[in-house]
Amino acid sequence: MKHFLWQAPTWLGALIYLGGVFAALVALLLQATPSDWGLSLTQSYLWRLIQFSFTQALLSALLSIVLAIPVISALYHNQFLGRRWLLNLFAVSIVVPTIVAILGIVIVYGRQGWFTSLFGFHFPLYGLGGILLAHVFFNLPLVVRLGLQVYGLIPDGQWRLATQLGLNRWQAFRVIEWPYLRRSLPGTFLLVFLLCFSSFAVVLSLGGGPKSSTLEVAIYQALRFEFDLSKASFLALLQVSICLALGGFVFRYIQPLQQDASLYRGAPQLRRRKRDFVVDLGSLMLAAVWIVPPFVAVLTPIWSAEFLVALASPGLWQATLVSLQVAIPSGLLSLMMALSLVSLARGFLYLGCSRVMRYLEQSANLVLMLPGLVLATGLFLLLRHTGGGINNAYWVVVWVNAVMALPFVVRAIAPAMLQQQQRYGHLYEQYAILGWIRFKLEWSAIRKALAQGLAYAVLLSLGDLGVVALFGSQGLETLPLYLYRLIGSYRVEQGSSVAVVLVLLCVALFFLITRCVGGRDVTN
Amino acid sequence: MLQIDMKYQWRDFVADYQVSFSTGMHCIVGASGGGKSTLLALLGGYLRGEGKVTYNGAQLEHLAPYERPMTTLFQSDNLFPQLTVWDNVAIGVAPNRKLDSEQHQKVLFSLAQVGLEGFKDKLPHTLSGGQAQRVAIARTLVRNAPILLLDEPFSALDPDLREAMLRLIQELTLANDWTTLMVTHQPYEAQQLEARVVNVNAGRICE
Repeated sequence: MKHFLWQAPTWLGALIYLGGVFAALVALLLQATPSDWGLSLTQSYLWRLIQFSFTQALLSALLSIVLAIPVISALYHNQFLGRRWLLNLFAVSIVVPTIVAILGIVIVYGRQGWFTSLFGFHFPLYGLGGILLAHVFFNLPLVVRLGLQVYGLIPDGQWRLATQLGLNRWQAFRVIEWPYLRRSLPGTFLLVFLLCFSSFAVVLSLGGGPKSSTLEVAIYQALRFEFDLSKASFLALLQVSICLALGGFVFRYIQPLQQDASLYRGAPQLRRRKRDFVVDLGSLMLAAVWIVPPFVAVLTPIWSAEFLVALASPGLWQATLVSLQVAIPSGLLSLMMALSLVSLARGFLYLGCSRVMRYLEQSANLVLMLPGLVLATGLFLLLRHTGGGINNAYWVVVWVNAVMALPFVVRAIAPAMLQQQQRYGHLYEQYAILGWIRFKLEWSAIRKALAQGLAYAVLLSLGDLGVVALFGSQGLETLPLYLYRLIGSYRVEQGSSVAVVLVLLCVALFFLITRCVGGRDVTN
Repeated sequence: MLQIDMKYQWRDFVADYQVSFSTGMHCIVGASGGGKSTLLALLGGYLRGEGKVTYNGAQLEHLAPYERPMTTLFQSDNLFPQLTVWDNVAIGVAPNRKLDSEQHQKVLFSLAQVGLEGFKDKLPHTLSGGQAQRVAIARTLVRNAPILLLDEPFSALDPDLREAMLRLIQELTLANDWTTLMVTHQPYEAQQLEARVVNVNAGRICE
């Protein structure tokens, strides 16, 4: 295994990732003025920001997890018409462009929206309510998909025992499912909390004013409107410190998941009771009602004449081309970095260095603590200092988008790759199966996970609005930016049509990648 | 009397079993891939075939595994790793593990039978291979199902321990009037246990 660790390609992705982050941080720190920080800390505005950032992230994460747990169990134990469709929708909603989802949520829950028409009163969309609604929309599907991966790690022998002993759903949940879920929940909570803590577009659009603003939005305002790099760097460092402290606390108490497998392959035949059916149906309905309407709302312009007019716009196709030019390299780069990190992690696991393994695996989450805008600004400053200039903005956008997708990609590929290591690591070592040959051998077992990781990365990059907004004037007008500008110039009708194109492009790319790379069953 | 008259097909493998088992020990022997474990899986309800499984005249083939009067011990994964020894046994008598005093005594008794009274608070990963299998046997005792199916549960144990386990199974089978079917690769074990030998080859019974 030692020679495996010393193979250069294994380190390349990790170096591109960690080297870039380090360089961006150094560039920002050089720009900072620590003498002003004491004054900033005395401002009550700052403490309000911190308090609201915490509250909304905590509630979003708790709500997403509590609602997701019964949905995970229901999806695992039931095969029904539409299950696959629902799972695909969940997969897409994780990576649907934020601005598109916000548009859908506004159409459904806005003052003139469907909710008001149906119930006669309007939903308090602008403020904490809207932020929670949108964050659960994005994160409930994420928690469900991660939870289903955890269920996949439960040895079949345990279901066989449950079947033999006649456990019902609730008993099986307590004895089998909960111990596995419980160990994965701190990590999942941390992921969702940090995503919500550093959420930008949702808070900017649905926050409703300074009362409901967060650190991330304040960083954007400092960069965009005040061009105060010192203030932005102070706020970014504050955000990084809070997230690192919380991450360190949770990481300390995370129990690693036991990955196991057995030869038995059979569906659990648990005792079924009427109340299990009611709970399953209720939780699935709630999830569907939360997730589906904004999608339907966004797709409604497809029937209007305006849609065809929007399709004829050359700006749309130019933006689509630019989006693809950014998203595909960015997705591939993200997958390469994730493969590198996970390969190193399992190499150290084999050597018995489980602590190093965990640090490497968790290092992907580092970017959750570093706002993409700040990383991009840091790299831009670095390029300016080194004479690279704005012409390299494309590569900055590709790299930042790749890095921002890394936590998702690593979480998608790590369980499958680590399980391969635990089951067959000794064989690979015994026969010195390394590098490309090992990759080819493992391909059939890990291709689904790789496809899912790649799809996440490509789609997240496709929907990014934050980083590309900084460089949008440099011929880098992607679809989300094009849409944002249309909405900003009150061409909402045309914007809705662009949103449809963006969603369709996401769906098409997701299916193309998961089918071509992952094989037929990847989405199930 | 346990009887099976069942056909089963999976890809190229076709099995057709017609055989009866009375109370006592039965050793299922035969070449690897011949269908020994398939026979046990069909009896236990883990695979669905075409035909009948009956026990004392009652048809079992439509019943879920937990509804059949039998307990299966597999090569591995016989215990829940997250439950203590006590809970792993108790779950066999009451899935919610809330025991009345009689059930409590039953669990204590079965742990005593397999010599693990002092291990009730231990977790499976702290036990040796033999101890872990004895916990599974204790659960079999509390379930008190009249049929015991053993799919090579002791194959990973060292010879002495393996022999001790087989003796324990033999004693329990005789004491409780069980019908015990054990898949084995060692024909001499059948002699040791004074068991009937049932030869399974290419999905057929050839006694």
